[in-house]
Amino acid sequence: MADKIKLFVNGVEVEVEAGKNLIDAIGAVGIEIPHFCYHPALGSDGNCRMCLVGIEDGRPPLVPACKTPAQAGMKVLLDAAHIKKIQHDVMELELINHPIDCPICDQAGECKLQDFYMSYDKQPSRMTVAQVKKGKKLDYGCGIVHDQERCVLCARCVRFCRQITKTGELGIVNRSDAAQVEFFPGRPINNRYAQNIVDLCPVGAMTSADFRFKQRVWFLKRAKGICHGCAKGCNITIEHNREKYQEDRIYRFLPRLNPQVNGYFICDKGRYSYHKENEGRLTVARQGSQVRNQADALAACNQEISRSPKIAMILSPNCSLEEMVAVKSLAEKLGATLSGFSDGYISAGDGDGYLIQDDKSANRAGLGILGINSNRAVFEKDLGEAQLLVNFNNDLTRSYTEPELRALLKDTKMILAASHDDGLAAMAAIAIPIAAASEYSGSLVNCDNILQSFTKAVSKNHDPVDIGTLAAQLGSPLQTRAEQFSELRKYLSVLKNFEADTLPAEGLKLTDNEATHVTA
Amino acid sequence: MEVKILSAKFHIDNANTLAVAISHGAYSTLDKLFAMQPAEVIEEVKKSGLRGRGGAGFPAGMKWGFLPKNTGKPVYLAVNSDESEPATFKDRYILVKDPHMLIEGIIICSYAIDCHDAYIYIRGEYTTQVKILQAAIDEAYAAGYLGASIAGRDFKLDVTIHRGAGAYICGEETALLESIEGQKGQPRSKPPFPAVAGLYGCPTIINNVQTIASLPFIITNGADAYKAHGTEKSPGTHLFGISGHVEKPGMYELPLGLPILEVIDKMAGGVWKGRKLKGIIPGGSSTPVLLPEEAKDVTLDYESMAAHKTMFGSGGIVVLDETVDIVQLVENLISFYHHESCGQCTPCREGLGWMLKIVQKILRGEGVIEDVLLLRELCDNIEMKTVCVLSAACTMPVRSYLDKFRQEFLAYVPTASPAAQEKQE
Ligand code: SF4
Ligand code: SF4
Ligand code: SF4
Ligand code: FES
Repeated sequence: MADKIKLFVNGVEVEVEAGKNLIDAIGAVGIEIPHFCYHPALGSDGNCRMCLVGIEDGRPPLVPACKTPAQAGMKVLLDAAHIKKIQHDVMELELINHPIDCPICDQAGECKLQDFYMSYDKQPSRMTVAQVKKGKKLDYGCGIVHDQERCVLCARCVRFCRQITKTGELGIVNRSDAAQVEFFPGRPINNRYAQNIVDLCPVGAMTSADFRFKQRVWFLKRAKGICHGCAKGCNITIEHNREKYQEDRIYRFLPRLNPQVNGYFICDKGRYSYHKENEGRLTVARQGSQVRNQADALAACNQEISRSPKIAMILSPNCSLEEMVAVKSLAEKLGATLSGFSDGYISAGDGDGYLIQDDKSANRAGLGILGINSNRAVFEKDLGEAQLLVNFNNDLTRSYTEPELRALLKDTKMILAASHDDGLAAMAAIAIPIAAASEYSGSLVNCDNILQSFTKAVSKNHDPVDIGTLAAQLGSPLQTRAEQFSELRKYLSVLKNFEADTLPAEGLKLTDNEATHVTA
Repeated sequence: MEVKILSAKFHIDNANTLAVAISHGAYSTLDKLFAMQPAEVIEEVKKSGLRGRGGAGFPAGMKWGFLPKNTGKPVYLAVNSDESEPATFKDRYILVKDPHMLIEGIIICSYAIDCHDAYIYIRGEYTTQVKILQAAIDEAYAAGYLGASIAGRDFKLDVTIHRGAGAYICGEETALLESIEGQKGQPRSKPPFPAVAGLYGCPTIINNVQTIASLPFIITNGADAYKAHGTEKSPGTHLFGISGHVEKPGMYELPLGLPILEVIDKMAGGVWKGRKLKGIIPGGSSTPVLLPEEAKDVTLDYESMAAHKTMFGSGGIVVLDETVDIVQLVENLISFYHHESCGQCTPCREGLGWMLKIVQKILRGEGVIEDVLLLRELCDNIEMKTVCVLSAACTMPVRSYLDKFRQEFLAYVPTASPAAQEKQE
């Protein structure tokens, strides 16, 4: 824990963290200092002048809070008439050339300009001369639409491209009120984290072509998720909504702050991976080409299992720890082999040393911790000896070509529990729909050996089960999530202090000892 | 009245060339300089009371004293030769007439602050000045006054000219640094101040051309000789550029502390064509105007100007005669500062454009009293809320015109009935 210091805000003593600037320090105890240009991930710039406060200690009458470190005993003035007047004045100036697009602006509902206007200005416009007109709906690359007129020139987007992605696509050209954010001609935004710019933009000047006009943000429900796009396990907010008579669907993933994992950002690929949660889903059970109800399909599975002398099982490296342990117990009970083979989930050379990892699976570390073998040869040998393969959502088409797969499965029936209806489902004797990552709760271990949990966000109409539940239905000795979790404690002693769903928000860093099992 | 310290060689033909400059004493200070300790040089400059001649008048020696010691980083000197303040044209005289005096001053300052790389940041439009200055620098290198071993001493100094691309704001010291670094010229939000983290993040001293050019005299003749001129708090001489409605506009070197009206009369021949004096801009376009009756007690020094709620500024005095349309003048003034606003901070970026449009509306005869009042209010709303003082450089003089010539604005407002006028009083 950082050191605490005491200072005064409007004459009231508050205890804040030392070493932070006033916006963050005082903000942490719930006192807002309005600001546009400062962002904790980008540092202060000092251009918006929205955060001016008074400090009663003989320094200049006004200081930008974003550039002023909190110091013990400091007397910060926020509610004095002259400070309120400054906030009002800056707001007024911010708005003189701003189009009041709010009713059609995609940022409405999460626009700082709107919020601050309501908090600090609320005055009718005194602008009686022509406004400065700038461009609208400009394509800035990477699915980013720029509306120059709404821009408050806070330079967050510019600083993001310079400091975070180090690609430097953006700059502010021109002076005075002709200043505008631009890219070098012919070289629009081009980096794998570009959509974060949309989140960073405090107003509706940078919007996402993917999300624009799809939903008003106040209709969206929010849940804490973990991106399953790669082994980093970036923390996300899953924003979804169920329109009347429609399916509950996800409208966007947004980064969720976790200083230990992903900071403030996520990659675009992970962000767009929500599309896969919505689309191409396996929604009904099938036996051969026949649609079956869930109970019949399960009965058929149990029959296949009981009549097969040798069974091979495989699970996805995206399964949660709970799912893995449930399947493992099932395999042990049935005397089946279990593999976590998933070479196809690794995309060598794709990682960038920042967030994006080569390994496109969310819980490969979990396989190691539970001692589940991932070796290709072992899997193929086990498969060769088995009459039945029970596949828990491992997308084997990522590791094999179709002819290879057909050859491998020649004498082996496949029961497939799958969230998606892709090439593999067509090869299965029985296919059972299961939940996608946003539809159940569980925990994962990321590439840095941080154990994190995620919660169910979306409830689909066909209400798919997760693999843990399915394994229980197929006879796993671990029948409930609580039982799965207690079994996990045998592998991970850190869990002894926790229950399922009570893991700390920032995740649990596993000890070296616990992580030594990790094989990949 | 005139005292020729800085302008001693201005009348000498070819004093910009090394040979002529040397024959009139250029570089003669160096023996004395290198016999002194750097701290002694700083002490002498402090003692002389020399104040920064860029406009703010901050004591030069004291500024040098702010450099942190033993940072392990190089110390830079940046000579501010941007000179973009309208009505100001003193530095370019030095650049053209006596560039070796500036180079000698740079050597003195660099020695005092332990700098081995000095930059002269010069306004891009100053093509003649750049040519002459560069020629002088080349000559100084060839003669061993610059380079690896200055005048045979164990002191290395390189001097580089950096040409700006033509932005008033690049005369602001941190914008100047940004520009040298190859960035868009816009001021940095302070702290840190340049003395601590300036050029390339290293300790940096930024001084105006005239400040640096004053050093050879001070070192040669001693602080007391410099202090013999001027007033106690504003010692020495200054190059005053007098322009506007006078008979003899021009550049005059004068000790500080002379009465402004006397200078206008005696040096510049008084208001031209026998017209009446309407006002005086005392130190460049950014300084608040003085009415003739106010000007009676004003002397040309920092203290007297401050006492009269204006500023000494750059010493660029503009005389306004009775025919000047103040509203047009203000439109001209705002349009300049609006155009030159770097655009980074909200009040300056948005506010100056708004002010400009309001004054244009008034000029078109479409204004109402509220517009005049709003214009006045905006001066207060914008001023000192910004990263740098450019916005204040606009609002301070505009406020002075609005307060001192209110009737002229109201005359443009068709609805300005006596009753309506009362409303605003
Ligand atoms: S950016 Fe904000 S204030 Fe501007 S139009 Fe959009 S919602 Fe309204
Ligand atoms: S586009 Fe948005 S983030 Fe970029 S400068 Fe404008 S307001 Fe700031
Ligand atoms: S006051 Fe004007 S010129 Fe100075 S930094 Fe701000 S916008 Fe730029
Ligand atoms: S947040 Fe401090 S100036 Fe913008």
